Amino acid sequence: MEFKDNIPIYLQIEQYLYRQIAMNELKAGEKIPSVRKLALELTVNVNTVQRALQQMNDQGILYTKRGEGNFVTEDEELLKQTRQALIDDKLDEFVQNMLTLGIEKDQLVEILSNYLEGKNQND
Amino acid sequence: MTNLLKITGLNYKKNQKYILRDVNLTLDEGKIIALLGENGAGKTSLMRVIAGVAKNYSGQVELAGGKEEAFRKAHLSFTDGLSGFGDTTKIKEVVNFYESLYSDFSENEFDELRKFMKLDLDMRLNQLSRGMREKLIIALTFARKADLYLLDEPFGGIDAMARKKIINSIILWKEDKATILISDHFVNEISTLLDEVVIIKNQTVFAHKSTDEIRENHESIEEYYEGLYEDEGE
Repeated sequence: MEFKDNIPIYLQIEQYLYRQIAMNELKAGEKIPSVRKLALELTVNVNTVQRALQQMNDQGILYTKRGEGNFVTEDEELLKQTRQALIDDKLDEFVQNMLTLGIEKDQLVEILSNYLEGKNQND
Repeated sequence: MTNLLKITGLNYKKNQKYILRDVNLTLDEGKIIALLGENGAGKTSLMRVIAGVAKNYSGQVELAGGKEEAFRKAHLSFTDGLSGFGDTTKIKEVVNFYESLYSDFSENEFDELRKFMKLDLDMRLNQLSRGMREKLIIALTFARKADLYLLDEPFGGIDAMARKKIINSIILWKEDKATILISDHFVNEISTLLDEVVIIKNQTVFAHKSTDEIRENHESIEEYYEGLYEDEGE
């Protein structure tokens, strides 16, 4: 994965893992890869991976089993929130982009439904 | 965090000329740190002083609690350019030499590294490309068990694949408590790997900062590093 160099790497690793969880690439209760494996896969420092995983443990989305590693929470409510947060992020991005193009907020729904309708007809 | 290296009031002269002046630097254990600076800034000199190879300095260099050069040498592993070996020396002869010289050199460890780097023991030094030569140097350096590893410009003039191999070997072989200091004049290729950067400018340690701290200010490591040079001339 490509990192942005002006954002702390541990935050980007967190985002990457949150995305994997939201997309169900990492499932509830699943063991996530070892620290060193993740470090190698992402070409980052082991310390940085550890920091990201520590924070995710603190946030409750991961939990540690002694000597076994890190696992994704089985708390359905938290997983739902995680997914929702990712959707909200993307929607924020979309709305911001539209605003920069001069589209008013009250036009957004109409624009989006017209677009989807057009797409349906082309399919 | 435990201090691993502590340099206080270091001055180093070569031919009556200051190469390093009033250097103070403390490094913790367990980190990957870049030593950055323009060509000729004194990066290699600083490494040679730490390693106990460069002699005529004043000030204190303490590594893992010891100040004696022999003690330091036993606790660190420094890449050297293989300059003492003849062109036709085989890799296995270099390995034998390392094994006899360093009691902490592990032939098993070297063998793992050598396989990872895809180097053949029967190859002669003059048959190695620049990238292969650098991979050999890294394998020899990491095959020792040390507290501090000093890698002097390991990425100079090598291709992307060799660079990737070396970076992966750092991730795979670094023990938790060991610290690795990597000198380079170009930070981008290793920036995701770094805990800290140390910048040499005006013959001294001009800045020493954690990469998280730099990025929390929304600056890239390269922007930060270049920014320190742009302030020049004010």
